[in-house]
Parts: sequence; structure tokens; C-alpha cells
Amino acid sequence: MLLIRNKELRKVIKITVPFVIIPLVTILGALVFNEKKHIIISLAVALLSLLLFAAGFEKKSTGTRRMVMVAVMTALCFAGRFIPFFKPVAALTIITALYLGGEAGFLVGALSAVLSNFYFGQGPWTAFQMLAWGLIGFCAGILSKKLLKSNVILLLYGALTGVVYSFIMDIWTVLWYNQSFNMNLYIAALVSAVPYTVSYVVSNVLFLCLLAKPFGEKLERIKTKYGI
Amino acid sequence: MRSFSEYNPIVVTVWFFSVTGIAMFSSYPLLMLISLLGGVLFFTVRNGISHGKEHIFFWVLFLILTLANPLVSHNGKTVLFVMNHNPVTLEATLYGLNSATMIVGVLYWFRSFTQIMTSEKLLYVTGALSPKLSLILSMALRFVPLFSRQSVKINNAQKAMGLYKDDNIIDDIKGKSRVFSILVTWALENGIITADSMEARGFGTHRRTHFCRFRFRGSDIALIVVSIALLVVTAFSVGIGSLDFSFYPSISVKTPGKLGIAGIISYIALIMIPIIIETEVSLRWKYLRSGI
Repeated sequence: MLLIRNKELRKVIKITVPFVIIPLVTILGALVFNEKKHIIISLAVALLSLLLFAAGFEKKSTGTRRMVMVAVMTALCFAGRFIPFFKPVAALTIITALYLGGEAGFLVGALSAVLSNFYFGQGPWTAFQMLAWGLIGFCAGILSKKLLKSNVILLLYGALTGVVYSFIMDIWTVLWYNQSFNMNLYIAALVSAVPYTVSYVVSNVLFLCLLAKPFGEKLERIKTKYGI
Repeated sequence: MRSFSEYNPIVVTVWFFSVTGIAMFSSYPLLMLISLLGGVLFFTVRNGISHGKEHIFFWVLFLILTLANPLVSHNGKTVLFVMNHNPVTLEATLYGLNSATMIVGVLYWFRSFTQIMTSEKLLYVTGALSPKLSLILSMALRFVPLFSRQSVKINNAQKAMGLYKDDNIIDDIKGKSRVFSILVTWALENGIITADSMEARGFGTHRRTHFCRFRFRGSDIALIVVSIALLVVTAFSVGIGSLDFSFYPSISVKTPGKLGIAGIISYIALIMIPIIIETEVSLRWKYLRSGI
């Protein structure tokens, strides 16, 4: 309505953000702030990449059916975050990406982060959570052929993304606390987050084990029935 | 006469990100302290003295964050004592205190932000950025209560057919997962029907219009202009380095010049805006009531 209504403007954003602004922000940030304030740079890059994705998505003509499917999966993720200890968000994001493609996976991951944080607490970490979950979905979409072939690889991917998610979020914790990166603090954060990392890994593997097949069948059925 | 939370959501968002942005990107202790005090004050002005648990959580976190830095980082000249052959320094402790003040302050601000920005307002703000994403968000929000209602229906039907009992744990889990499976199939089919119905009514043929409760009034424009002006002054004085403070190797304070003082004052003013609005509204309300 305000920002990305104009077609020309959208085009400009799409070209300038990835090739001009993001590298410029990184380099300028490193020079001007004397490598002291990595937090500004990281937050700016995260927000810009989300903006870029929104612009790309806005431009494409996604089918209405596909869009509603994404909304359904987002709602399921949102509801799933209320399960204590085990969170199926990443698993559902991966499953969506496998059957509906990487873009849908990114959307489900990113949007369920924003939505559910209305109940779990919004904060500056929301941008990072959106990006982390979104990328987990996006990569699953890229690797979908291999992941669909073998169940073992899929479960391995689930476990790996659990660890990676924790590592990404801890980088953010350290940057926020210390403003610049500090290896000691990062290790301390990683160690204190071990229970969470384990719970991410366990819940990803568990939910992929339980849900991948039945969800796959349902999504596959909908796809063949309605030709999405 | 409007309270701060009734202003246009875009204005409220801009104000919140100005306040928390300065708090996050500056490391000047006085600004951190102002932000923390303002955050606590704003939260208590809005909520009274309830939410005791959250206050306790925030202050325990404050303590942990303060103590975390001197245990990990050993920079600094003034050694307080030595623990496990590692020096614990005054500078590192103060640095931890400063970071803790910043983080807890921002947490308080975002707690109030989450209270003020209801999902309806979020849809308005994201709608301004990207109508399509906002549509997906609003549909997802609508699906959550719909699914929970439907799952109750499915549950009742399954029980009535005698398919599971909930006094046996294994039977219960099996039954619940069947309900969930049915719900997912139904949700996907229902989504397709929704999509077809949307297309039949002309979705996607031209730009989407939407019902909107929020308008820009004079006071909204005034508020957004004032907050951006104050933000620019503070950000300029932080960015140009007149509000610098270094902890390592030893604490060095530079007395802030005129620009620094202007930055501090404008940050205080920025934080006080909603508190002034809330007090003014409640005072005027009392005055009007006393006149009856």
C-alpha cells in the first residue's frame, strides 16, 4: 500500500537491495563502526533480506490456492508452538518446503515466527528467528529431491537444522549482549543453551518421524486432486 | 482525546523502534539508564502494579546478565579479585551492568509493544509493507480458532462413534492423533475451497481494498514528526561520537558537549511523549468527571 505498491519502486528494490545495499551496509558498517557494532550491521542485513523476500513475493503471481495452503500450514505451526518442550515449527516448515517448494517453506517459517511471537513475546530477535526458520525451509526446498528420496537423510537434515538454529540464535544473543562478537561469550552461550539445542534436535527428528509421511501423503493428494 | 495506544499503529511503531533502536545501538550508560527507567515507568503506567511475575523474571535476568560478563571476559585494569586463576575486573562488571541495563530496558519496551500492537494493528502495518503477506497472516490468524473449533467437532464425532476412550493412555494418544490427521486433511480441503471462493469473487483481478479502522489524523502527523525529529537529534549526537564511553582498558568518561546534552535531552523527551499523553488524558478525564 505505502511502500511496495509502485511497480517501478519494486523493481528498484529488487535490484538494489541484494547487489548494492546489503554489501554496502556490511562494508560501511565494518569501516565506520570500527568492527565494534556488529549488531547494527547484522540487524540491518536481516531486515533487508526479509524486505527483499517480501518484494520478490509481492511481484510474483502466486496462485490463490498455494497462498491459502501457506496460510493453513502457518496456522498449524502457530498452534504447534503451544506444545510444551517439543516444538514442531521447524519440522512443519521443512515438510511444507518439501511438497510446496522453497518459497512456501520460507514463508511458513518466517510468518509463523512473527505470528507466534505475539504470544511468546515480540522482540528484536524476531527478525533473526524469521530469517533462521525461513532459511531452514528455503534450503529444504532446494534439497527437496534428495530429502524426499531417503528418510535417513531427511532426519539428519532435521537434526542438523536444530543445531544450526541454536547456533544462529546464539550468535544473535552474543551480538546483542556484547555489541561485538566475542568467542568466549559465544561458547558460554552455546553451553548454556545445550538443553534447548537438544530439545530442538529431538523435536525436529521426532516430528519429522511422526508427521513427514502422513503430511506428505495429504499434501501430495491435495496437489494431484486440485493440481496446485 | 486519545490515549497513546489509540494513535495510528504506524506512528506507534515508528516511535517504538526509535526508542529501542537508540537503546540497542548506543552504549552510553546514561541513555541505557534512561531507557530502562522509561521502560519500567511506561509498563507500570499502563498496567498498574500487576504482572509481578514478569517483573521478577526481568530482574533475575538483569542479575544473571550483569554477572555473566565478568566471569567470561577478563579485560580491564582494575582487578577486584581472582577466581580460578582468572581475574575478575571492575571494568568487565560495569560493562556487564551496562549491557544488562540495555537488554532489560529493551525487554520492558517490547513487553509494552506486544500489549499495544494487537494482531489487527499488525495486519495494518504489514499491509502497508506488503498486502499479500498481510493477507496470509490474517488468514492464518483466522484459521487458528477455526481449527480448534473443528477439532472439538471431530473429537466429539469420533467419541460418539465409539472409536476411542480417553481413560486409556495408548488409546487416547492413538485417538488424538487420528483426530489431528482428520483435522489436517479437512484444513487443507477447506483451504482449497476458501481459495476457490476467493477467486470466484474476483480476488487477484485488481488491487485489493481492505477495511481499515485507522486513519492519519492531525495529532498522528504531529506525533510522528516530533518523534522522528527527536530521533534524528539523538541519533546524530550518538553517531558523531559526542556520546562515547569506553570501558576497556579503563573507564574513560568524556564530558558530553552541547550536542551530547541535546541528544540526551531529546531522548528523554522522546521517551516521555506517551507518558505525558497518558497522564494528560487521565487528568482531563478526571476533570471532566468532576464537572458532572
